Amino acid sequence: MKSSNIIKTIAQKLFPFITLFGIYLILNGHLSPGGGFQGGVVLGTAVILLFLSYGIEATEQKVKMRCLSILEEAIILFFIFLGILGISTGYFFLKNFLPLGRAGQILSAGFMPLLNLVIGIKVAAGIFGIFYILFKYRGEI
Amino acid sequence: MNPIHFSILLFFIGLYGVINKNNLIKKIIGLTILNGSTVLFFISIGYRENGIAPILSEELSGELMPVMVNPVPQALMLTAIVIGVSVTALALALIVKIYEKYKTLNIQQLLKE
Amino acid sequence: MKNHLPILIIILPLVFSFLILLFRKYAFYLSLTGIFVSLFFLLRLSSKILRGNRIIYHLGGWEGPIGINLVIDGLSFYFSFLVLCAGIFIVLYSLYEEKYSSTYYFFLLLSTSSMLGIIFTGDIFNMYIFYELLTISTYLMIAYLKKGESLKASFNYLIMGGVGLSFFLLGVGFLYALFGVLDISHIAERFLVIFSFNQQMVMVAFALILIGIGIKVAIFPLHGWLPDAHSLAPSSVSALLSGITVKIGIYCLIRLLYHIFCSEEYFFIRTGQIYLILGSITLLFGATMALAQIDLKRLLAFSTINQIGIIMIGFGIGTKAGFTGALFHILNHAILKISLFFCAGIIIKKTGSRLLQGLKGFGRREPLIVLSFTIASMGMIGIPSVNGFISKFIICSAAIEAGFPLIVVIIIIASVITAAYYFKIIALFFDLSETSAKITKPFGGKNASSRIIFGYWPVYVLTGISVFLGIFPKFGINLLEPAVKLILSNFIP
Repeated sequence: MKSSNIIKTIAQKLFPFITLFGIYLILNGHLSPGGGFQGGVVLGTAVILLFLSYGIEATEQKVKMRCLSILEEAIILFFIFLGILGISTGYFFLKNFLPLGRAGQILSAGFMPLLNLVIGIKVAAGIFGIFYILFKYRGEI
Repeated sequence: MNPIHFSILLFFIGLYGVINKNNLIKKIIGLTILNGSTVLFFISIGYRENGIAPILSEELSGELMPVMVNPVPQALMLTAIVIGVSVTALALALIVKIYEKYKTLNIQQLLKE
Repeated sequence: MKNHLPILIIILPLVFSFLILLFRKYAFYLSLTGIFVSLFFLLRLSSKILRGNRIIYHLGGWEGPIGINLVIDGLSFYFSFLVLCAGIFIVLYSLYEEKYSSTYYFFLLLSTSSMLGIIFTGDIFNMYIFYELLTISTYLMIAYLKKGESLKASFNYLIMGGVGLSFFLLGVGFLYALFGVLDISHIAERFLVIFSFNQQMVMVAFALILIGIGIKVAIFPLHGWLPDAHSLAPSSVSALLSGITVKIGIYCLIRLLYHIFCSEEYFFIRTGQIYLILGSITLLFGATMALAQIDLKRLLAFSTINQIGIIMIGFGIGTKAGFTGALFHILNHAILKISLFFCAGIIIKKTGSRLLQGLKGFGRREPLIVLSFTIASMGMIGIPSVNGFISKFIICSAAIEAGFPLIVVIIIIASVITAAYYFKIIALFFDLSETSAKITKPFGGKNASSRIIFGYWPVYVLTGISVFLGIFPKFGINLLEPAVKLILSNFIP
């Protein structure tokens, strides 16, 4: 699809702000509406914006699909590893084993920011992966 | 009219879309409306009169907790929306392969072959 | 470590499935290891469960109605044992059938893990999540080889499964609106009180859950996806779907309807009547449609609908013998149907045609496979000395005791029709009127003999187990005694 210079410039200028908003949603998941899934979708949308405006070849040079797949698979194993750490400290699976701080700060509520981060990365990689595969192989395979 | 009545109406609209429409993509849109109506039903169950959003902040603490809406259905529906998105993505991938093999998206013609 | 075994049984196949994606070359060994270790953990819990106790595990340390509990009692143990043992055979057969890439084993382990999740969980929304995960991985396994018809069958299944699970979710929503908690045992405690206040809303919830799960179990009006999906899939996937996945729907029906709703006398009688009527219609419908098929795997898929009808009749009778017969028939049908689909896969691979006409004279080429097919079909019909006879006999005697003689007549008519179509196939096997001119295609590739071992030995082992259970049924019935006691006493151990 053809894209003009206006779209390319605006997309490039908007990309850091959308990414920042996505990271803000992920990190403040336990304090305000947001969390892993919402922030992950916003992050994925930011990358899709670049990929729709610049075409597929330029994005393929920046984001390698093999690294994305390995990241997706390894991050789930990290999630389950966090759960099993709950077992090893003597409590049940997925128990909150990090210290709970004061309500209202970012570094509170045990390991919930960490879980939100894991889910956010996985969802962003997943959403981008879906669009990439559907776009790249449209009708040719 | 409550949100609950409206969600049942949307459920039947979605069901009509899945059953009666001939194009495959319209069936997927019907399925999405079906999922959306269930999400609306769950969230409207948790509503309390004059309730505020269930966010803990520093002004409210201790004794005078105001009435808040139920946050449990909202957390459950996040997962349900994720599942709906993945089923839609999978259905679209299948539609791409079906179109490439059969060159049509009309269900009556697909059933004849 | 022994305390944490329930969650480890669910998590292990999941971990191994993601490890398969990372190390693609060792897909087969990792999948086999995952299922074996999970089965070993399950057997360590078996001594405590078979004495009648119940293990409850709180996820994340949150107890009571707030958190998610995992419950292992007699019923969960029985079904999870069935799932894991069948999973081993299916992984072994997959190696024979084709050189599948690692994503196939990934979906296989993912579906096993989600089945264990459905079986062990004690929370209705968690059951919906795992059920969706199971359904998504089966959509992908059906369409795996990307042939035109399997894509259409998978799309058909996707639409019907999506609508069915939306009905189920709406039913869960009604239950949550009525009771305020999501935990199954807490809902069962509060059921009688709330039923006396809002009768209509409870009945709507009951109807929605029955329709939603009924689409997955393929009861009569809602069975339309099953013949296409089970016949146009690869043979190992057909065995998984017909043998195990349909039974998971029956487990959900038992857990939700018998635990929550049937503590009330009114619901118990009505559920029994609905199951009897639907089961009889499904039974006759499946038998008659199977008689008219010319495609081998489609015939086996309609035979599945047939046997599901018998299981529903067994549950509908409502006495102890009825439940014993139905649960035992679940085990028998799983063993027999998996071995029948494996035989069908071997036949299709050797003769290259799926129609019944292509089976002429096959008995001369592979006598042992034909013998296994014959024994398995004897079990389906209900001839003595194979395990199918025992479970059908228990259900028929339970029907006579409870005063439903018409049911026995219906089961006997359906067994006669079953005999008709299975004997048609067996007669074609031994038909020597024209010699089949097809040459066996050479396998090609190395390790040809070992791949034959993986294909043939599961069939022989499954046939041996079915004959063994036919002669000594006590081993199977011991396994399900705690489950039957649990259903009859309304799940209070």
